[in-house]
Amino acid sequence: MFVGRKFNSLILSNLRCNLENSFQFYSVFPPNYIKPIYKKGEQEALYQEETALKQFSHLPVKPAKTNNTCSEFHDELIRKFTNYIMRKGNKKMARKILDETFENIKIKKLNEYYNTSPEYRENIILDPKVIFYQAVENCTPVLELQKISRGGIAYQVPIPMNENRAQFLSMNWIISTAQNKGNAEKLSDVLAKDIIDAANNQGRVIKKKYDMHKQCEANRAYAHYRWL
Amino acid sequence: MLDSLFSRMCLRNGRRTIITAATKDVPDTSIPWFRISESNPAEHDESCLSRIYTIPSDITASLMSNMTLELRKQTEIFRELVNFNYKKIYDLTSCDNGIQGVGKTTSLLHLIHYGLVKRYFVLHLPWVQTWFRYPRDAVASPLEPDKIDLPESATKWLKYIKEINKVALSQLDLKTTKEYTWSQREITKSGESLSNLIEFGIQRNKFACGVINAVVDELKMASTAGKCRTLVIIDGFNAFTSSITHVKDENHTYVPPERISITSTFLSSVDYNWCNGAAILTVDKRANKDRKDSDYPTYLLGKKGFELLDPFLPICVENYSLDEFKTILEYYKDRKWIKNISDKGQRELELLSNKNPYQLWALCKPLY
Repeated sequence: MFVGRKFNSLILSNLRCNLENSFQFYSVFPPNYIKPIYKKGEQEALYQEETALKQFSHLPVKPAKTNNTCSEFHDELIRKFTNYIMRKGNKKMARKILDETFENIKIKKLNEYYNTSPEYRENIILDPKVIFYQAVENCTPVLELQKISRGGIAYQVPIPMNENRAQFLSMNWIISTAQNKGNAEKLSDVLAKDIIDAANNQGRVIKKKYDMHKQCEANRAYAHYRWL
Repeated sequence: MLDSLFSRMCLRNGRRTIITAATKDVPDTSIPWFRISESNPAEHDESCLSRIYTIPSDITASLMSNMTLELRKQTEIFRELVNFNYKKIYDLTSCDNGIQGVGKTTSLLHLIHYGLVKRYFVLHLPWVQTWFRYPRDAVASPLEPDKIDLPESATKWLKYIKEINKVALSQLDLKTTKEYTWSQREITKSGESLSNLIEFGIQRNKFACGVINAVVDELKMASTAGKCRTLVIIDGFNAFTSSITHVKDENHTYVPPERISITSTFLSSVDYNWCNGAAILTVDKRANKDRKDSDYPTYLLGKKGFELLDPFLPICVENYSLDEFKTILEYYKDRKWIKNISDKGQRELELLSNKNPYQLWALCKPLY
């Protein structure tokens, strides 16, 4: 066990960076391969700037994944959210749930649109994508608690996190709170409600974020354990 | 007689106008290019093809109870009902076929509107399979031995027929021509009005199927005599000609549709022994349990059903043409259902959906 751990931490990481050794990596492609640019708009933007194009001209590129399309309906964040909804690899179901969610958001917003008086109608956002982006942004936390043991005692230490992790937490909270509702309501209905609420800076997901921030605030005294 | 009927028949195949119904919120002042101000389908001409028109809300309200869930949802979203339509009505038996989601049911809805405007007596059977697939109560028929009644659905249908033919029933003044004996005490005398007969069927649940039979017979006789014109519209007709239903008899075995009492009624309503009316039927893969391989009527109706209907006018309901496709997207944009779709996106939708109305609707659901 100990040997295995040592191998993982010291030798394997060394091997992965070292290209001369003919070891099998996790990825088929070595790390010097860059990610493909598959969106047409981005490609055209590259062609506009000559210096940027030169930078990529002689780099090896990974092939695009099957779910990467240049369709204008494709969206990176939504793709990611679909993958977070997915259970047991059932992506078809996940996509269906998200599509229904967006449909429900549109129906709800349209109802709101028709129920308000004509002067204020222009202020209502009907686009589910914009609402979704707003919701994810509003739910993104800044700090989280991490267990760090100092002198035999485990402390809950508030720690800032990177953007990726924060976005992941935000989206996962939206899904988990919707799933907590149980089977009485359809997941797509609950998700739609939660996303609209979060976009308006209210609701259960936002409360979850505030609760976490509050705990971090309470554990402010342990903050120095992060580096001491 | 057949020749005269053929000569009267006027059919423009294939193309349709896209129609919507019942708008209160749509302002009447400025009409966009894809809409038609004329809401009477009898007065539409060539220029109205592949454009949208609105049906008055009272007709939508009466049709609402028997529309499909998806259509009801659309009606709520757009504050109106989306629908498809043929150009002219046919004076003969005709049979629509087409792949799923192409707009068969919705084109029937437009024909109903046409019939109601033209003062037809409309016998609309919304989706035959609902009778056979989800039978609430199947009991032995008190009138015909060895047959099974579906009283609950029959009562519901009678209510629906009464609702949509409110005007026709009050204006046409139809009378029964013979005496119907339901039981020892309950007798409908000849010369009683048809609405009373329908009312009796609604109140006496037990005899609802018998009443349907009587109503269809009376209407056939009345239209042959020239007192009224009848429009028979049946969606998913091939459920009647399939070999099995979900209805169980007292031995808990599934029965064929011939053993259900309403089957013979509706088969006789599309028979050739009456005139002065029209029958428009659709066949659909989803309407029967046993035949699922092809969309064509010869296969779906089976030999027996085909011979019963023959000769009929086959009409193929097709996917949207390019004009219609553009119109419907414009309509979605007008109703705020989609907005930021570029020309490339439209092209993509066109290719993904193959201009199939239902698939296009499904694809547009999550977009904006």
